[in-house]
Amino acid sequence: MGKRKDVLYGTLQLLVLQTLESRGRLHGYALTRAIQESSADRLRVEEGSLYPALRRMEQQGWLRASWGKTEKRRDARFYEITPAGQRQLAAERESWLHITEGVRRVLQYA
Amino acid sequence: MSIFRRLLNVFRTDRLARDARREVDFHIAECIDELVDSGMSETEARREARRRFGHTDDVKADVHRAEVLGWLDAVFTDIRYALRGLRANPGFTAVAVVSLGLGIGANTAIFSLVNAVILRSLPVWNPQDIVQVTLGGSRGTFTVPLWDAVREQQEALDGVLAHGDQTFNLADGGVVRRETGAWVSGGYFNVLGVPPAVGRVFSPSDDVRGCPAVAVLGHRFWQREYGGDEAVVGRTISLNGNPFEIVGVSASGFEGVHVGRTANIFTPICAADIFYPGRNLLDARSSWYISILGRLPRGGSLEEAQASLAATARGVMEASVPTHWAPDEQAEFLENGLSARAASTGLSIVRGQYRTALFTLLVVVGVVLLIACANVAQLLMARATARQHEVAVRLAIGSGRARLIRQLLTESALLALLGAALGVVFARWSSGLIVAFLRQGGSTVSLDLSLDLRVLGFTVLVATLTGILFGLAPAWRSSRVSPQRAMRGSGRGLVGDSRHLLGRSIVVGQVALSLVLVVAAGLLVGSFQRLSTIDPGFTPAGVLLVETGWSALDLSEDNARVFPRELVERMESIPGVVSASASLTTPISGASWNDYVVFDDMPRGGDLPLVYFNGVTEDYLRTLEMRLVAGRGFDASDRDGSAPVAIVNEELARQFFGGENPVGRTMRTSSHDSLSAPIEIVGLLADSKYRRLDEETLPTALVPLEQAGLWGSGVHITVRSSGAPTAVQPAVTEAMRQIHPAITLEFSTLEANIAESLARPKLLATMSGFFGGLALLLAVIGLYGTMAYNVTRRRNEMGVRIALGAPQARILGLIAGEAGRIVAGGLVLGALLAFAATRPIASFLYGVGATDPMTMAGSALMLALVAMGAALLPAWRAARVDPMVTLRDE
Repeated sequence: MGKRKDVLYGTLQLLVLQTLESRGRLHGYALTRAIQESSADRLRVEEGSLYPALRRMEQQGWLRASWGKTEKRRDARFYEITPAGQRQLAAERESWLHITEGVRRVLQYA
Repeated sequence: MSIFRRLLNVFRTDRLARDARREVDFHIAECIDELVDSGMSETEARREARRRFGHTDDVKADVHRAEVLGWLDAVFTDIRYALRGLRANPGFTAVAVVSLGLGIGANTAIFSLVNAVILRSLPVWNPQDIVQVTLGGSRGTFTVPLWDAVREQQEALDGVLAHGDQTFNLADGGVVRRETGAWVSGGYFNVLGVPPAVGRVFSPSDDVRGCPAVAVLGHRFWQREYGGDEAVVGRTISLNGNPFEIVGVSASGFEGVHVGRTANIFTPICAADIFYPGRNLLDARSSWYISILGRLPRGGSLEEAQASLAATARGVMEASVPTHWAPDEQAEFLENGLSARAASTGLSIVRGQYRTALFTLLVVVGVVLLIACANVAQLLMARATARQHEVAVRLAIGSGRARLIRQLLTESALLALLGAALGVVFARWSSGLIVAFLRQGGSTVSLDLSLDLRVLGFTVLVATLTGILFGLAPAWRSSRVSPQRAMRGSGRGLVGDSRHLLGRSIVVGQVALSLVLVVAAGLLVGSFQRLSTIDPGFTPAGVLLVETGWSALDLSEDNARVFPRELVERMESIPGVVSASASLTTPISGASWNDYVVFDDMPRGGDLPLVYFNGVTEDYLRTLEMRLVAGRGFDASDRDGSAPVAIVNEELARQFFGGENPVGRTMRTSSHDSLSAPIEIVGLLADSKYRRLDEETLPTALVPLEQAGLWGSGVHITVRSSGAPTAVQPAVTEAMRQIHPAITLEFSTLEANIAESLARPKLLATMSGFFGGLALLLAVIGLYGTMAYNVTRRRNEMGVRIALGAPQARILGLIAGEAGRIVAGGLVLGALLAFAATRPIASFLYGVGATDPMTMAGSALMLALVAMGAALLPAWRAARVDPMVTLRDE
């Protein structure tokens, strides 16, 4: 197992929105797995902060949640991204790219 | 998630916690499955999964906190944001809060009166069980023998009590000191469940024939007169010249069962024999002054009580029938039924007098509040336009519309709250002033106006509705702004867009509503003016009224007959007195004496005409400056024993003598089918008012005081002096004291009596005038605001027009025309509304119809002038737009 970092504070939201945007309807556990996989195991989501974050985002109207059944016939809460969430994603993605570009330049030229 | 559900979430934490737990449990189960798949033992996997998750309870708490706190946090953010916005615009905030404060305050003030007069329950034990016993349908007054029979025979109620209004004179001779009080039955306090604050209250043994003179004091009176001294028990108090022993003080807050008439002193009913020895009032079978209340048995219904009382009626009537009545009248009496009605709010005369007036005022202030709401809505809309850019940006970066509406509604709610706070202050101050207008039977009404939960609840409800009413439309509207258009630039709104239309409709509504109030005010103020400038047929200015009582003197009948003459002669010797007279009653005093009359040479048959009488001494006409049209006045020869004579008024001549001069004709008074000796009409008097200023003139006859027979032991003395009437009051007091120190005196002036009778018209005129003016002011501000806003919005258009050569007059006309259309629309709508809405106040009007075209036209004209004046200022500004400045903005 390689070295894994917990997700940076503030990026969790971006990761969740991006993951739901690209993969569609997911439950919380699948979300953590998906983020871990997509980041090639570099990022892992702290469960204790994931669920409060999901609730917050649901309140902001970025996510829609509903109860459903998994393949194993377990009850799970599934999350989907809403149009407002998509707008938020676009804004956050842009600001993230902006910041990382800035950081990259500093590292490169400073 | 809807706001509603979120609110529920704050309370229903169980449900949220359960949701969170289910979700966490699911996560852990999935995690365990995966670990087991990768080769871990079940137990180890379970431990590892839990370790990864951290303390599960914390997570659940965090989830819940995010839910609830997130919401509360958003609310506080909204409030902070709104407060900042309000602080940043002090002008806007002040206008909005003051408009709302006036509107809400007026509503609270009038409602607290409605509450005190009509809605509030008596401060007694279980007031909802209190009922009033009624006689023969709806009458509420009984005789003492009837009361005795009801008390002994009824089985419907768990206890009955009797109450009679009384006024006691606390002074021993000289100038009277009146305090309101009540004669009550022995069970009065026990049935109501009112305990003593000090000493004891009455028990049934206090109210038996030949009872000792004992009194219970009202709490407020005890505080006022005795400073709350507990040693008052056992002391004596002089009531109408009789010493009474004070046995206790009733509980604080209880002021008797008659709302609006505080009972300061209670005595048992049996004390009537002490006050009026030898008159046998307790056995008087046709003296109606007792009200009966009772308490429903536990679990018993009003219907059962009514049925049971109805069944007892016959026995009660047989036991108390006035045996001196004519047989047919007795038979009628025996048919009287008994029933009961709910009386949890006590008895009240004020209630009947002012109910419609108070509800009318409540509607009026409601309309004022509507107009104020419309104004604040307009201000908010204008502000929303200024904030269009900000809103557009927020929408563009993803703020939800619901969130924005909530933000704007928070601001409205804050405004409403501030308005309500100001309103309560305003209401506290003004409701006391309004009560001073309510008068009943010569004394001011005392009401408990303390803020109770019902009044506060009403204020909160009104404020909330207000906030929604003026906040929702602007909030909804501004959140619908299209980001692209708003961000493209400001100042180039399209003519006739929907925002503009809404603003205009609001102003049309405002103008219409204020026209209704102005018309109502015009009618009521006009009525009051007509009433107060009416010619009553006498000259009230300069007349002092002295109500004298000399029962303590024990005069023989012969002496009592000539005693008034002695008093009058003494009055006339006082320097400054022009003339003085004695009479049985005075005009507009509320007291009246009438008799059925037969005119000698006229055919009898049908109902006898009713004529209003007064007994007067010679100088009565001179003192009141009443005008004799024909014949003679009374002189010293019109004495007891000389030929009976009368002076009648023109109305009597018109009604019964076809307008011919009645001097020389005769009339007789009729009672119980027996006729008096013929009375010769010796004079004809110009018409004058008798009971009230707004009455149709009554047929009136004056007779010499000595021939009239005395009512009780006292007369009204009228004194006309050259200066202010009250200036001779000390001299009159001293002169009376010299005649006999035990004579009781009560002073007022004829002008004060007349002002008293105008109390209700004055209340309505003052209030409606004030609120009508307020409504007009608010509507004009609204119109000005709309026009000013339109002009600002169309500045570029005006600039272009002027640049293209439009003359200033044309621009002026353009704006004035728009204002004119709004005002005209409002006036038409308002006229239609006024036509329908003023009918209910018809009963308050005097000398004018509810749909008086002159008042309507005058009000509309005034409103049109004021409104157009307010619209001209922005129009003038528009005409002066400098095209270069506006075009540079493009």
